[in-house]
Amino acid sequence: MRIRKLLLLLGAIFLSIAVFIINAVTKNIDLEESMIQYVRSAFVVISFAMVYGYVHIVKRERQRSAVKNIRDVALFAGLFLATYLLISFLPLKGFDSREFKLFPRDYLTILFSSTISAVAGVFGIVTIHFIKDLVLHKRKKTTARNYWILLGSMIVTSLSALMVRPLDQSSVIIGILYALSILMIIANSFRLGWIAYLPRKEKIYSLLYSLLAFFGFLAILIILSIQDGWTQKGILYYNAALFTFVRLSSIFGAVYFGMAFSSTLFHLPTAEAFDRKQSEISSLHNLNRLINQVFDLKELADTATKMVTEVVQASCVWLEIIPTETGVQTDALISAYNISNNEVNAMLSGNGTSIRSTVIQTKKVLMVEDVAEDKRTSHLPQIKKAGSLLVIPLLSHDHVIGILYATKEISYGFERDDIDILSGFADQVAIAIENARLITKSIEKERLQRELMLAQEMQKRLLPQQLPKFATLDMEAISSPALEVGGDYYDVVQLNEEQVGIVIGDVSGKGVGAAFYMAEVKGIFQSLSKISSSPKDFLIKANDALVTSIDKRSFISLIYSVINTRTGELVVSRAGHCPMLYISGSRKEFIKPLGLGLGLKAGKIFEETVEERNIKMKSGDVCVFYTDGVTESRSSSGEEFGYERLLDVVDAHRKGSAEDIKEAIIQNVWSYTDAKGYHDDLTVFVVKWIGV
Amino acid sequence: MSDFKVMVRERNDNIHTLELKGYLDAHTTPVLEDAFQKLLSEKKYRIIVNCKDLSYISSAGLGVFMAFIEDVRAEEGDIKMSDMTPKVFNIFDLLGFPMLYDIVKTEDEAAKKFAEKSVR
Repeated sequence: MRIRKLLLLLGAIFLSIAVFIINAVTKNIDLEESMIQYVRSAFVVISFAMVYGYVHIVKRERQRSAVKNIRDVALFAGLFLATYLLISFLPLKGFDSREFKLFPRDYLTILFSSTISAVAGVFGIVTIHFIKDLVLHKRKKTTARNYWILLGSMIVTSLSALMVRPLDQSSVIIGILYALSILMIIANSFRLGWIAYLPRKEKIYSLLYSLLAFFGFLAILIILSIQDGWTQKGILYYNAALFTFVRLSSIFGAVYFGMAFSSTLFHLPTAEAFDRKQSEISSLHNLNRLINQVFDLKELADTATKMVTEVVQASCVWLEIIPTETGVQTDALISAYNISNNEVNAMLSGNGTSIRSTVIQTKKVLMVEDVAEDKRTSHLPQIKKAGSLLVIPLLSHDHVIGILYATKEISYGFERDDIDILSGFADQVAIAIENARLITKSIEKERLQRELMLAQEMQKRLLPQQLPKFATLDMEAISSPALEVGGDYYDVVQLNEEQVGIVIGDVSGKGVGAAFYMAEVKGIFQSLSKISSSPKDFLIKANDALVTSIDKRSFISLIYSVINTRTGELVVSRAGHCPMLYISGSRKEFIKPLGLGLGLKAGKIFEETVEERNIKMKSGDVCVFYTDGVTESRSSSGEEFGYERLLDVVDAHRKGSAEDIKEAIIQNVWSYTDAKGYHDDLTVFVVKWIGV
Repeated sequence: MSDFKVMVRERNDNIHTLELKGYLDAHTTPVLEDAFQKLLSEKKYRIIVNCKDLSYISSAGLGVFMAFIEDVRAEEGDIKMSDMTPKVFNIFDLLGFPMLYDIVKTEDEAAKKFAEKSVR
């Protein structure tokens, strides 16, 4: 781009110098119809085409405001006029005219002619270029077309001037082309859409610059029109097409800026209202952006109050965000602008609540035109600078989630417009608040989800990772919580060389609460089982430990058995838990020694009720411990899995390994419930006595 | 499916009956808790829980009785249960509730027990 710019500029300068040399060399020669004459004209046209290209590139690099464009056009007009004045002081000999042709009397005149021509040409090009930006602002389909027709007709008109002698411009064709150009100039001069969008301040500048530009162009037109004036002759001598082009550009400038001036003048009275609308739109736009970026309620509220202050020029604004019932945020959040929180609280806590409750009830905008006189507000503590008050509810799903208050110093300060704007604003803020709340909620939910996953991991580790292996005893267990974490528990502990203790339990309730108690039971089991003389003794000790720490509506059911791995003797005690299923030969029964759930009753009553049962296992005997998740699983019709089905399943698979039996139970429960009705923690522990 | 209702009925012998109907689990326990709470706040401590139409009770449901029994007994009152279906009784029985509460066949039988106690 830089090189192209440089080449265009150098080319234009080089060609101008060439034209100057030709002019100087052929000072007194009539060049009519000669080759050199065409070359000279071509050089001029090409050099200014290059200037056009140069300006085009420069313009594209810098986007400029409309007002700056006008100012610069006015500056160029001024430059032209200054050059004109400067040259006026030079002692020029001027031109001789013969047969409508011009002959310079001295070299200085040739130099002056070149200079003023260059300035005029650049001026003309800059003018149409800058006006182009203005015309094509807010373009429609026809806008660009009209502009290009204008430019085309200007160029054609200008070039047609080359067909005749410089001082004989009275051709019919030229006249028609001229008229067409003027017509297009007028047509294009109605393209003044940019004025409406200027802020008020810029409109005033635009008015000033347009006027300056208008007079500048007018002055140039007058100078160009002075018959036998040396400027006219100088440019005509240099190139007749250039003269026409400059004149048309000046007409364009004068007409356009004349129109711009008067149009701006007419726009001035509405400028303030327009500015206001503009700032409303941009505030709403900013608010929209805010919605997508700010998820902190406080920050959101602060920004919103500040924006409201700007939009309606309120003296004080405050925003109350009403907490949601299940909310993330508990206290009402108040963001105040230009008024202290104390003053706001005084308003809200005093009788001022009546306004607040009215708005909450009606969900409609409330306007107090005169705070001092109005019955609804006259009792309010005098808020500073409050003449009128506007109260707007923020609605979301037909609930008032917040209230926006705005005051103005004077009474009757709010207009119909303000209500509309602030209502629209309030809707946006409501969306933003809702958005922020949802985001917070989902972040919180995600965090809880992560915590739960962690808890699940932890809980899995509380269960034995691997059951101990014995030659005489085949054991398998599985536990699956209904939620992320559960209250089921099983464990195995090697009490001594011969004895192994097996426990399975169920904490009342589900979820995290149950999981905590389950962890406690694990601790109790690990510490007490080894120092207990029997299952009954263990349950009594465990109850003592639990009864003091457990919530009175919670309890833990447990079944604990101790198996002698050498003899196959089994001692079992139960504390409110599902009975043990025992299958041995033709004997198939649920063994259910008496025993209260842990944590229900302290001390003596518990001790008196808990029983112990002894069994001597034979090879092939199966014991199944389980939680009520197995027996209480429901089919889709609501029927429970029950004890009979459990017994049948185990009986049918009693020849298999402990693993086979466990799998059979789980598969049967799953298929029974369709996985849908299934809704409790479920644990199964299978023991098969292989014997010696 | 978790449909649960409590009907409070005042008997002529200064005993209040709670008739439970439906499925008592963690979701529906608040209904029963509220009913107990209301009776206690009115200083009615002689309570019979009629379980005729109770189709299921979960461990959370059992917890409700545990929550109130101490307060009621401290006021010389009691919570007695009657008319349980075998299935529901089995749940109470597993946990050893019969050792802690009077669980009887009929409501009248429960009322009689209240009467006996006050005579004593």
